[in-house]
Amino acid sequence: MQAEKFSYDNQIVKQFMIAALVFAAVGMLVGLIIAIQLYLPDLNLGIPYTSFGRLRPLHTNAVIFAFVGNIIFAGVYYSLQRVVKARMWNDKLSQFHFWGWQFIILSAAVTLLLGITTSKEYAELEWPIDIMIAIVWLAFGANMFGTIIKRREKHMYVAVWFYIATFVTITVLHVVNSLELPVSLFKSYSLYAGVQDALVQWWYGHNAVAFFLTTPYLGLMYYFLPKAANRPVYSYRLSILHFWALIFLYIWAGPHHLLYSALPDWAQSLGTVFSIMLIAPSWGGMLNGLLTLRGAWDRVRDNPVLKFMVVAVTAYGMATFEGPMLSLKSVNAISHFTDWTIAHVHVGALGWNGMLSFGILYWLVPKMWGTELYSKKSANFHFWISTLGIVFYAVPMYWSGVAQALMWKQFTQLGVLQYPNFLETTLQIIPMYIIRSFGGLLYFSGLLLMFHNLLMTAKNGKFIKDEETEAVPYDREADKLQRGLIHRWLEKRPVKFALLSAVVILIGGLVEIVPTFLIKSNIPTIAAVKPYSPLELQGRDIYIREGCVSCHSQLIRPFRSETERYGEYSKAGEYVYDHPFLWGSKRTGPDLMREGGKYSNLWHYLHLEDPRQMSPGSIMPRYAWLLENQLDTTTTASKIKAMRTLGVPYENGYENFANRDLSKQAALITEDLRKSGAPAEADKEIIALIAYLQRLGTDIKVNKAGGK
Amino acid sequence: MKSLNKNFTAVLFFVIMQAGHSQLSAATGEGYDLDKIMRTMLIITLLFIAFVIWLAIVYSEKNDLNGDNFKRPLKAIKNYMMRLTPLEKEQELLLDHDFDGIKELDNKIPPWFNFLFYGTIIWGIIYLVVFHVLGTGQTQSVEYSEEINQAAIERQILIKTGAFLNEETVVELKDAVALSEGKEIFSKNCVTCHAADGGGIVGPNLTDDYWIHGGGIKNIFTTIKYGVPAKGMISWQTQLDPKKIQAVASYVISLHGTKPANPKAPEGTLYVPPVKQDSAKTL
Repeated sequence: MQAEKFSYDNQIVKQFMIAALVFAAVGMLVGLIIAIQLYLPDLNLGIPYTSFGRLRPLHTNAVIFAFVGNIIFAGVYYSLQRVVKARMWNDKLSQFHFWGWQFIILSAAVTLLLGITTSKEYAELEWPIDIMIAIVWLAFGANMFGTIIKRREKHMYVAVWFYIATFVTITVLHVVNSLELPVSLFKSYSLYAGVQDALVQWWYGHNAVAFFLTTPYLGLMYYFLPKAANRPVYSYRLSILHFWALIFLYIWAGPHHLLYSALPDWAQSLGTVFSIMLIAPSWGGMLNGLLTLRGAWDRVRDNPVLKFMVVAVTAYGMATFEGPMLSLKSVNAISHFTDWTIAHVHVGALGWNGMLSFGILYWLVPKMWGTELYSKKSANFHFWISTLGIVFYAVPMYWSGVAQALMWKQFTQLGVLQYPNFLETTLQIIPMYIIRSFGGLLYFSGLLLMFHNLLMTAKNGKFIKDEETEAVPYDREADKLQRGLIHRWLEKRPVKFALLSAVVILIGGLVEIVPTFLIKSNIPTIAAVKPYSPLELQGRDIYIREGCVSCHSQLIRPFRSETERYGEYSKAGEYVYDHPFLWGSKRTGPDLMREGGKYSNLWHYLHLEDPRQMSPGSIMPRYAWLLENQLDTTTTASKIKAMRTLGVPYENGYENFANRDLSKQAALITEDLRKSGAPAEADKEIIALIAYLQRLGTDIKVNKAGGK
Repeated sequence: MKSLNKNFTAVLFFVIMQAGHSQLSAATGEGYDLDKIMRTMLIITLLFIAFVIWLAIVYSEKNDLNGDNFKRPLKAIKNYMMRLTPLEKEQELLLDHDFDGIKELDNKIPPWFNFLFYGTIIWGIIYLVVFHVLGTGQTQSVEYSEEINQAAIERQILIKTGAFLNEETVVELKDAVALSEGKEIFSKNCVTCHAADGGGIVGPNLTDDYWIHGGGIKNIFTTIKYGVPAKGMISWQTQLDPKKIQAVASYVISLHGTKPANPKAPEGTLYVPPVKQDSAKTL
């Protein structure tokens, strides 16, 4: 057959690359700012939009979906065209994908700063943006499959398998976890409550790491590493084994984020077991990457691209071994809720995602501009400064995580907590926070160095917009399924491949989620647990808006050190009206599950106005605007109605009287505050938040000795 | 082959690092002491320094990792576990795959990888059987009640030996050492509500003759120990051991009659100390 002439679309790759670089700078800068806010809480300048609780989700979303996301798309658009020997199916669709994704990122940035959030980690965006994400994501999928189907290469390369699995799984995860009931244009409540919401969220959250930060990057590694090293991939059969094992096992591991929680024991055990089983499939990727470099190690020393890739793959290996270890109950008992988790994710994010991205960019830009890298020296310096940055980031975080966890658990010989005051443990680790931000600064300066280097490289060359090439079309004669070559057969069938991946990734999710929803005994109900009053519900939404969940958990684990500090451990039945759940994943401040009644209204009033009035040295930001802001009571009725639709037993028609009850409760709290000398006003947001805080955990608060 | 040594150093490094982690997990069962914390911290730090040194060695120009004699037995094990084909014979393993110039080799999966993979699967099955079929593994609620029972037993022993005071047995301390300890506890925990000089802010004035929940060592001890949540006074019994509560309560009594800078108006009822040392309780 005659070879056909066609061209690769480099324009779309360039666009995604530029977007990735811009958002890398934004995301990491915001990260640096909030790292500093942890020891200089007044750095938010006293305004809501820059407070930690709102910037933290902006940081995570920016680095995950804006930086890494755009790198994924740049890398996929570049490599996919070449391994299937076809131009992208539809250039217009590519452009729609690009501009749609950037629009989503900008809407995310604006809404998160405004406090418009669902509070579910890495899924904070509200429902209209969720819908946009779904549409743009499907456009990407259509474009990808269109390209694969009109390919000129018979088989799909391993990188493409990973891209397909990524597309299929993210679609499922995003849709299931984002099911929410809109209350207004920018507010919705999760369809799930409490334990179920937690399970769905961490099934999503864990697999966002798996299928957004891992599988697409493995795909990129399988293309860019052998290309940069000019070496054959070490083992094709290892590729097959670790690919299928990885996507099958990953999906089960979500519950390891919920060890020692109110999640049923059996689900927790599945989380532990599948996490351990993940070690080998994860290492399969590292192995195939590092062994591909056999015979090329001499080049690693003077090739910055390969250096970045080696450290990336190594960091991947470290993080994927550490992850399973953190899923063991005994380790998790220490590590959970501490900075250890922060260290762990940053070894993955800065090491694996960051370094691989840098390696790819240093390789790709000279290629696409038909020139050499402007400065190898600068790239080498970037390599060292970011490696050092990671060390300066991770070591203090491990240190502070372990130190704080041990202080939380320490009892004196007389059997009382050695550090009963939470703040005491925080103050101990402040020096670590300072060193960590220095590490972040190093890493960030490396990024700026790369900007300069890439810019100069592009200037020296000439951008190749459409790369001309030619290839023989794929002759689609029928072929039979041969024994021993089943996988080879499958590699020619993208749709069957996608369907099979979908089946493989659905099993784990279904086995864990369905029984938790259907079997009553998994969530024993508690008669004393009642729905929130209208004022408390409004207060809860303020708690969500301000991102309190970023630093305060609402989950007391069954350890004596926690029940002594916080009160009775959390029961599944206590959360049945929590749409969404607010368990949190980090305790920068103390747990608030049973905050109700621990302190007076006045204490909360003064503490929110300026935490350092009540707790000298506290690193919590001031929330002075809550004292000024008028509580929006026009939403009360629709919120009550929405909650009733979700199964919260408010009486029919209660929405008509809800604001009457709200005012009554607000008046009571205000009166108490005024009696104690605070100039409180009943119609301010702070009254609602205090009402919520005073309600927390009081439904089953039994003994007075249980309190703090 | 040089390069592979480096891979191995890398893998070895992870293993050592994780050994550090498992040491931590071993520590969870018992109480923690600062010694242990420091040791663990030290290990982790050293490991990271080792990592940086490792990087430096790997990337330095003049490294020489060929200590051949020393490594021979290790190499034998490695060869068995890796089953690497020599680079010269690589051509034989080359598959006819070609994706944009990327070729693939048909290397066997390293045996150590298979051991690890199937080993973890077996471990997983055993784990599930132990916890959910045989039921010999402790679920979290059982683990918790055992921990609580153990603490209760230890507490009983402390009470019997008299180390544990309570509101019935407590007496006021007047010696300077106890009072200065009380002052320290007071300035750490109480001043945010009661002011540094006891004059009261959110909480009441502690220097006057009026007490909301009763004066005298026993009442004050009780108030501190259990708190009065309705009024915003929190319970301190999980934070301060009884001797500390005794010290701080004694210190509070010692403040009586002092002249604070901004005294809050008296609240509660007049407290007259009992003349005799009988059990009469005011209020």
